[in-house]
This record gives sequence, structure tokens and C-alpha cells, in this order.
Amino acid sequence: MSRPTTPSWKRTLGGVLLAALLTTGCESPSVVPTADGRQNLHTARIEGTLVVQSKARGNAVVFLYDVARPPPPAGTGRPIAFTVIPAEQLFGPALTTDTLGPFTAPFTLSLVPAGTYLLRGFIDADTCRSGAQPCRPSDFNPWYGVTSEPNAGDVGGGAVDPTTGATLALTVTEDADGNPLPLTNVSVSFSDTARVPLDRPAFQVSVLVGGDHVVTTGGGTKVLRLTPQTIRGGAVDQAPPGFLVSYVDANKDGVPDDANKDGIPDVWPRVVVRKLANVPGLLEDNDLDRNGILDPDGIDYPRAGSGRDGQPDLVVLAAGLVMDPILSALTDESGNPRMTPVVMPELQVAVRPLALDARDAAAPAPLEGLPQGRYTVVLIQSTGQTWRVPNELAPAFAPAAGLTPVESQAFTLEVP
Amino acid sequence: MKAFKTLERAGVLALCLCASQALADARLEARRHFRSGMSLIAQKQYDEGIAELEQAYAIKPHPNVLFNIARAYQDAGRVPEALDTYRRYVASSPADAPTVEATIAALEEKVKAAEAVAETDKSALPMPPPPASVQSQQQLGALLERLEKAIERAESMPTGGASAATSSTYIPSVLPGVSETAGADDGAVPYEERVVTASRRAQSSLEAPNATTVITAEDIRLSGATSLPELLRRVPGADVMSLGVGSANVSLRGFNQRIANKVLVLVDGRTEYQDFLGLTLWSSIPIGLDEIERIEVIRGPGSALYGANAMLGVINIITQAPGSGPRARFNVSGGTGNSVAGSFQSHGNSGALRYRAAVAYTQADKWSRDYASGRPDIVLRDPDPDIGMRGARGTLATTYTFAEGRTVGLSGGVHRYATEIYPLGLLRNYFMDGLNAYVKGDVELGPLKLKTFWNHISGHAGPQYEAIGQRSLGTDISSNLFNAELLFARAFQLAGEHQLNVGVEGRLKRVAWDYLGPLREELHAAAFVQDEWRLAEPLRLVASYRVDRHPLLDNGTPGLAHSPRISALYIPIEGHAFRISAASAFREPTFLESYTRLLVPVQGVNGASAMTTGNTSLRPERLTAFELGYRGEFAELGMDWDVALYQNRVKDLIVLSAFERLPANESYDPATGNYLVGRSRFQNEDSIYTARGVEAGITLAPVDGLGLKASAAVQNVSSDLEDKEDCGPCSQAPQLKLYGGITYRTKVDLEFGVDAAFTSSTTWIEREPNATDPTILEPHANALGAYTIVNARVGYTAVKNTVDVALIGSQLGAAHSQHPFGNRIERRVYATLTVTP
Repeated sequence: MSRPTTPSWKRTLGGVLLAALLTTGCESPSVVPTADGRQNLHTARIEGTLVVQSKARGNAVVFLYDVARPPPPAGTGRPIAFTVIPAEQLFGPALTTDTLGPFTAPFTLSLVPAGTYLLRGFIDADTCRSGAQPCRPSDFNPWYGVTSEPNAGDVGGGAVDPTTGATLALTVTEDADGNPLPLTNVSVSFSDTARVPLDRPAFQVSVLVGGDHVVTTGGGTKVLRLTPQTIRGGAVDQAPPGFLVSYVDANKDGVPDDANKDGIPDVWPRVVVRKLANVPGLLEDNDLDRNGILDPDGIDYPRAGSGRDGQPDLVVLAAGLVMDPILSALTDESGNPRMTPVVMPELQVAVRPLALDARDAAAPAPLEGLPQGRYTVVLIQSTGQTWRVPNELAPAFAPAAGLTPVESQAFTLEVP
Repeated sequence: MKAFKTLERAGVLALCLCASQALADARLEARRHFRSGMSLIAQKQYDEGIAELEQAYAIKPHPNVLFNIARAYQDAGRVPEALDTYRRYVASSPADAPTVEATIAALEEKVKAAEAVAETDKSALPMPPPPASVQSQQQLGALLERLEKAIERAESMPTGGASAATSSTYIPSVLPGVSETAGADDGAVPYEERVVTASRRAQSSLEAPNATTVITAEDIRLSGATSLPELLRRVPGADVMSLGVGSANVSLRGFNQRIANKVLVLVDGRTEYQDFLGLTLWSSIPIGLDEIERIEVIRGPGSALYGANAMLGVINIITQAPGSGPRARFNVSGGTGNSVAGSFQSHGNSGALRYRAAVAYTQADKWSRDYASGRPDIVLRDPDPDIGMRGARGTLATTYTFAEGRTVGLSGGVHRYATEIYPLGLLRNYFMDGLNAYVKGDVELGPLKLKTFWNHISGHAGPQYEAIGQRSLGTDISSNLFNAELLFARAFQLAGEHQLNVGVEGRLKRVAWDYLGPLREELHAAAFVQDEWRLAEPLRLVASYRVDRHPLLDNGTPGLAHSPRISALYIPIEGHAFRISAASAFREPTFLESYTRLLVPVQGVNGASAMTTGNTSLRPERLTAFELGYRGEFAELGMDWDVALYQNRVKDLIVLSAFERLPANESYDPATGNYLVGRSRFQNEDSIYTARGVEAGITLAPVDGLGLKASAAVQNVSSDLEDKEDCGPCSQAPQLKLYGGITYRTKVDLEFGVDAAFTSSTTWIEREPNATDPTILEPHANALGAYTIVNARVGYTAVKNTVDVALIGSQLGAAHSQHPFGNRIERRVYATLTVTP
């Protein structure tokens, strides 16, 4: 059967030309971020090597801090991110030995925006790996306050100047187009010289002077007695022998510092009595997203004599350690300052019925009256370890967290 | 690469040297001519009527049209033409060939007798004088003629199938090739729309107990669509959401989502719904668009016949019957976005053995990429980050007919492909480098049918983009599904005519996937029965019931899911059917929902992960549906339409829970060295969702060459517990969808088509990490604007029946996204060349 031939080559030719024209664009697909928030961030990374010289064995945890918000003891900042290098990867075949190393392993902190940071970390020691009895397994858990810091036997570390030992400020820079550039070859060192000597300063509170846990404007100064508390149950294993007390000597000149020039030398530990949010739970006031930074929108309390400043406040009660027993412990037989830390069996904390806005920690501003609500007592040790009550061990919170309740950890100061 | 592109462009140039056959809506057009012809024949305008029928046959050949032409010639007394047409009819091997052959023999005898009489007349005595009255003579002649015709018709009228006849149609007794999978368009009534999916047997779409939409091979060709989901936009009530070139989610009547899991997709009755994931991976289906005979979409619950996952509807893709197409056909296409496709298809037969074989290759770039290469923070895991989909496939389908009603079919296919998947929860854009394969065997022994198949999918998948230094979620999958089904169909009389369908089914699923832990295996079983009872014309009742045994449905132990359906059909006049139905349907928990244990890294916090876990105690998602429908046609104008009102009540939706903090002693995963920020678990929602809507569609072929389609769907989804702004299924369902399309073909060699689909704005509630603290994972509302998709096609037949070319513009509307996390969809243009040597 014969088939008809093409009736019009002109139309065909037109089609050919049009198709050729339209198919000349064979370039790669364009880059168009979607509504996924992550795709619209411009970040880089920090990567490098862990160097461990230690007999301790365990996972290495590396934290990323904003340089403006350093962790205790230098500040109260919380980590922006962290990474874990499993012990198996870090120590390899030496995992079951107690050799000193050095051991190395790569690490990466991902999706880091441009900025300046600090890197700190620790080896979460697991003495059970060596068969020691009694032993303590790795017990770090970042999600709960009572498990989120190093304990005795853990080995501290960080990105430090190898000659001075000073913590390095690491900067993720940007190129000319404003795109962050990766920061590589960063070294994070861990050494047995930074082994944590004591467990965290877990304490219980009793009211020594001032009656009960209620703070009132006219109630006078309240004195709290803090005593170490051993807590063993579930994921928490704390057995502090006492509180590590020492003079502050930031410039290491062998002379106690006196930052506020009040004639009383500065000492560790430090104590903060901070207001909790008026919601169930343990959230701090004006930090409902629990990122350690005051929320942009929050409660602005009136200041004494000057009204509101238009910003959410960091409300604390005027509190401090009762210095006499501490100074006594930190003075040697010759009456000279004892510059090495001393373990004290108890501390006393004086709490005045005065509320301050500590947004500017260097110049806290008195508030008008006492903001109503619950207040937490926080103790910060020179090792950077902290403890606070109330915490997740309080019977009201412990079951939900899978922790063993401890009645004493529910203590709260209250302003009615 | 440059050389390849040069070759590619040269190929595109070469392919445009020629051009395409053309039809608008051929069925409606042919039907219009047919009905017009039959009407003229009834008025004894035989010549005009036969001409109309011949035109209908030319547009779309149908054996029954030949039968009717022959009858018309016979009525007109033009016996030689009648004989010739009867012979053409018998040549199509109809089942009633013996009866028709007897008619042919009788007519031949008559011709011979007439010739003999004519010879005798030459020597006979003069005729007696006529009756006294000329009028009486004429009356007598007419009476004798009518009597003779009545006798002849009684002798030659086919014996069965009369119940489906229309007043203006002659129907042969049994038609060839009307099976559940193919040939249903050759129904008893010529050019009547036929469906097989609604009742698991061939029937007129007017008689279907559900709202149905049929997309024919012509629709597919004229649309210029390159993927199945694109085609489904024309289905009223269909929610089609393309996230990537090779990744789309399709739902019906709302409840669309990433991993749309409430619509059962079948290819010739074989499931393409990936049970383990709850997803139809459209671009992995080893069937090309040019192998499809038609697509039947049942809009509404189908669990009463198809069991699990046929919750909101069934999409049955029916391929061309082996041996029913050309011996060879080549198709190549190329276009923007590095789109290249080529296929070869062949049909043939050797005695009782018929076959269809096809091979094809397809590739296309993504519309857009989420991330650029060389970033300091993101690593591209996708082996080819530009490719949206790429695949090479081959299929072979054979049938062997031993005798009438006794056939064996064996088919198989394999598809090696790379595509995208957009999983749920915190997961984003995945690549999949996979292999799909299937083998299907069918045995038909009269009323008994045995259907078996094996489905296999395997491959490597993982996020396309991951943060440098983050633990990778790359994974390997292997899934095998074995299915056997025995069906029995029988008609009988008991207080009216009954059409009984009964079936039993068994299915074994084995899935090896590290997201699920160890190898998972499930054994499922089911049985169903359906009876269509023609109680008293014009009323029909259809009752269906299916029970499915699932190994986990009873709180983690084997349990049953029951799916009843009752429908009533009222067909007061020919071409107009009213239906009312109530049904229950369900979706079973997927392997992912039952067994998964997946730790998803928290973005930017490499030491932390969020855990997603399965739940073996899930209840199935449940649907209770009510529907009122009206389907009508006006064949003389080439018009049909369908209207449906529905209410779907959905409960026990399976969703991911909010993240719950884990107990301290369960918060560390030693295998990954990650601390678990919390756990999200698959669970049944307490909310009950009610979707109400109305859908209307109309198709017209008013004049030769012109085809029009239009549809609209309005829906509203509400929750009994959640406010509108917190209710994902409520805000994610577009409230208005519109579709309109027009095709026009010239009588010579050109055809034009353009269609547009509008989808109203939505708000998608998706889980995302908090901007300042990524360890806080919370729902986030993403507004998505309305969008309109416009496609156009120009076809040209360069050499009649041999060479066609077409130019296709896809997504010609404004650039847009169809999901907040999907590609930005932009215009593409393709040229195609089809050669049928």
C-alpha cells in the first residue's frame, strides 16, 4: 500500500526550526531553595582533629559556644551545638587499655554560621570498660540539667593555644559575597592534666536563718545552708565530697582578685538565685526557649525609681556566699591566702529581699519590689561544674524524665 | 558531555523532519455519528444513516458498527451491500460469527433465489392483473415487506446481550475481547464508555457504582503528557502534587501529603502501591505512556473489591492487549531540561499466541535544585544531582488462547531508574537508584480466573543533600511481594438477574530495609463477594463485601478489616444514571509505620538525633463514604457529563506524634553515638475528619475535530477536634480545582491541544527544627499560593499513518511550587517524533 508523501515541507521546516530553537537551552537546573528553613541558611563548618592524651576511655564530646556567651566558669552560656566522637572511633584498639596516647580522630561541627566561637569538650569517662570495680559508665546526657556536665574522672579539653593554654576564639569568616568559609584544621586537645577532680556540686538546701523558703520584702536576709548530697539512682551518680572553694585569680599572679573593689577577695564558687518562669516546669524567666539567651519578648519588671527599661529582665535576688567560713578555710596557718582549692563540707548563702535585673551582669539594676514567683538556687564551681535546685530530680518531674525522685531537689525559694 | 548534547540537539532536529495522526475525543465523536446514523436509519433514511455509520467506523472502528451497517443495508433491501458488510463483520472474528454466518448463508440463498426467479420471469406467463385498487396493492406490498423483514430479523438477531441493547442499536450476542484488563472499550453498545475497575468486570461507566473517570490512549497522546500524574490532573477531585520531575503524590478528594498513601494504583490489576512504604513511585512503574490503553480512575472507596489502601480511590492503568497494536512503532522526543526519551514497541501474533514488547529510555533534569554544588556546609549525595528522573525499561506481555474463554497470559517487566522521593516527617528530598521488576501470570478458564504476580523493588536511597560531617541516612532497600488471586464470575436468575463476582487472595510481603531493623515479613489474606442485582428495571443494586486479614490489625496480632459497600443505580432513561452509595474502606499500616526505627540527625547538632519509631499496634485508617452521583450523556451532541456529591468521614489517620523526650537512660544510642532529643511515634489520630465536596465534569465533541473537556471540584475538609489553622488535612486540601482542555484536529494533518488546571491556595503544616534551637522540632505552617498549569501541544502528520511529529509545551503557566519543599516548576518544551513503519 502506498502512503501519501508529506503535503507541506514548509510547515515541517517551521516545526524543525521552532523545536531547534526551543531545545537549545540545555543548561543545568537552577538552584532555588524551597520553603524549608534549612535551605535558606548560609553556613559553613568547623572541622579538625581531636588529640587526646589520657588514660581515660570514653566518648569525646565537643561543644560549640558563642564567644560572647562562654560556658561556666567564665560565663553562663549554653552550647550552640555539640558533636560526639564515639570511644571506639577515638581510641580504636587501645580502647580496652590504659595507654596515654596520643589518640586522634577527626571531628566536624556542621552548619556553623559566620561568627566567633569557642570549642570546649570532655571525655565522658567510662571506667567500666576496664573492668574496674566499682565503676562508673559514661553518664553524660545533654537533655537534662542533672546529667549534662562532666563528673569526677572525666577529662576536660578544648581548642586552646598550645603554648599558653588559653582558650582560642575561632572565627568562621565570610568571603566577599558574604558566604561563610569553612574553618578547618582545628585542634581540640584533651589531657589528663585537665581531669575533673570532683563530682558536680550537688547540694541540698536548708534554711538556716529566716524561717521557711518564702522570701518577702520585709522578711530580712535569709541564710541558706547548702550541704553536699550524694545522689545515686538511675542515670544520676553524684557523690561530691564537698564544695571546691578557692580564691579567684584570673591573672594568675598569686594574689586573690577583687573585681568589685569591695575589699573582699573574690572566691569560687559563685551563687545565683534566679527567677523561674511562671509556668509549670523548670524554665527560667524570660528564657522560655531555653537557649540561655533572654527572649526578645518577655516580661519587663519596673526598676526601682526609674520605671521599665523596655526590655525583658534577667531577675535575680541579691545573694552571696557567707564569706567568713570560706575565708577562714582559704587562709593558712600564717594568715596568708591559701591559693589552692579547698573542699568545704558546707556553704552558707545569704539571700536579701532585693531583686535585681542582671541583664547587664556588670551593673545589675535594682527592681521595684520582689517579682512574684519561684526562684532557683544555682551554684557555679571553679571547674565549670554547676548544680541547681530545683531540678529534674524533684518528684514532680523525675518520673517523666525516667529519673529517680529526690525530695531535696525540689527546694524552691518563693516570693508570694 | 558536550558531544552528547550536540548529538541530542541533532537528534531533536532530525526528529522534527516529519509529523502526527490526529483525533479529538474519538469515542464521543464516533458515537455522535453513530447515534445520528441510527436515528436516520430508524426514519428509513438509509443512505444518510449508513453514511453516518461509516463515518463513525472510520473515526473509531468497532465491529458492532459493521453489524449495524449490514442490518441497515438489509433493511434497505440492498442485499449485496448487506452481504459484503456482514462478511467484514465476520472477518473481525466476533463471538456470534456462526449466527451471522447463517444470516449470510440465508441472504446468499435469497440472492440466488432472486436470480433464479429473474431467469424464470423471462419465460413465464404474463402476470395476472393487479388488484382493483392501487392503494390496496401498495398496502399489501408494504405489509409483505415488513413481514419479511420481521422474519429475517428474528432469524438473524443475536441471542444474548439484549439487555444491554438500546432502542436504536443492534447488538451482536457476544463481543470479542471484553475482559477485565483490556478491550473493554469494545462494549456491546458501540462507543459506550466501558470500565472494568468499578466492579471487576467490564461494564458501562453508566452502570458503575462509583464515580469514574476514564483517560483513553487518545487523551494521553493528545495531552502530550510525559508522566502519569500529569494526566491525572484532568480527573475531577484528583489532588496531584508534583515535587520533582520524577516525584509526585496523587490523592483523591483531599488528604494529599508527602508519601500519599490512600489511593491504590494498579497496572492491569497488579498493585504498584509500594506496601512497605505506602507510596506509589510513579516514575518507577515499568510501563510507558504509549503502552497504555486507558486509565480508569475510581473516585471513591474501593476496599470492598480491592481491599487495603483503596481508601480514597483506585487508579487502574490498563495496558494495550498483546497483539492489538502496530508491529513496530518508534518514538523519540527531546526538549528543554535535558529531556530525552525514546521507545520502541511491537505487537504481533503467531497463531493463538499474541505478544506486546516494549523498550524505552527516559531522562529529564530536575526543575530546580535545592542546593548548589561546592557549598562549604552541604555535601551532595545524589550521584547525579541534576537528574530528576532517568530510567531504562523493558516489558513483554503475551497471551495464548486455547479456546474461547480459555487463555493464559504471562507478562513481565523491568525498570532500572533513578528518581526522587520526598519522604515524610523531618526527612526531605531523597534520591532513589532503584530497580523494579515484575512477573505476572493469568489463567482464564471460563468463569474462573487465576491471577498471580511477583513485584520486586530494590535499590539504594538516601537524602540528596546532607550537612558535611553529619551521619548519613543512606540506605538499601529490597522488597518482594508475591500475590495470588482466584476470581469467579457468574450470572444467574433469582428474582431478577444477578451478576456474581467472588474472589480470594493471598499476599506475602518480604522487606529487607535497615530503616526497619531485621527482615520483615507479613502474610495477608482476603476474600470478597459482589452481587449486582437487577431487581427491576430501571433499578439495580450492587452489594459488595470484603474481609482482609492483616497480621497486626488486632493490637499487634492478626486481625480483620471489613469493607462493605452498597450501591443503588437508577437508570430511568437511556444514557442517564443516578447512583447512591455507601461504603467503608481502609488503609493498612505500612511497614514503615509498623516497624521503623530511624534516627534522623538534628541539623547542625551532629551529636544529636531525633528518633522515629513504628508502632505494631496501629489501627487501620478508616473511611466511611456516602456518594450521590449522576452520569448522563447526549450522544447526538457528542456530550457526556458526571456529577458527584460526596461525604468522606476519615478516622484513625496514622500520623507521627509530637516529639516526646525520652527517659534519661534511653537517650543515648550506642550504635550511632548520638543522644536522642526525643521520639516521634506513628500513632492513630483522635480527630475525625470530614471531607465534603462536589465534582462535575463534562466532555464534548460537538463537531468533527473539536474536543472539549472541563471539570471542577470543590471540597472542604474539617476536623472535630482541631481548629482550622492547626488541622493539616484541612488546610492542605485545595478547596477549588478547575480543569479545562480543548483539542482540535484538522481533517488533513494538524492537531492542536491546550489544557489548563487551576489549584487554589493551601497551607502545609510540616515539621521543622526551630530556627534558633534545632533540637526543638515543631510544626510550622507554610503558605502555598494558588497555581495554574497550562500545557499545549501541536501535532502534525507528516506521512499519513507513518510519521507524526508534535511540539509540546509543558507547565506554560507561571513558575510555581506545588509543595513548600518541592521543586520550583518551570516551563519545558519538547518535540516528539513517532514513526510507525
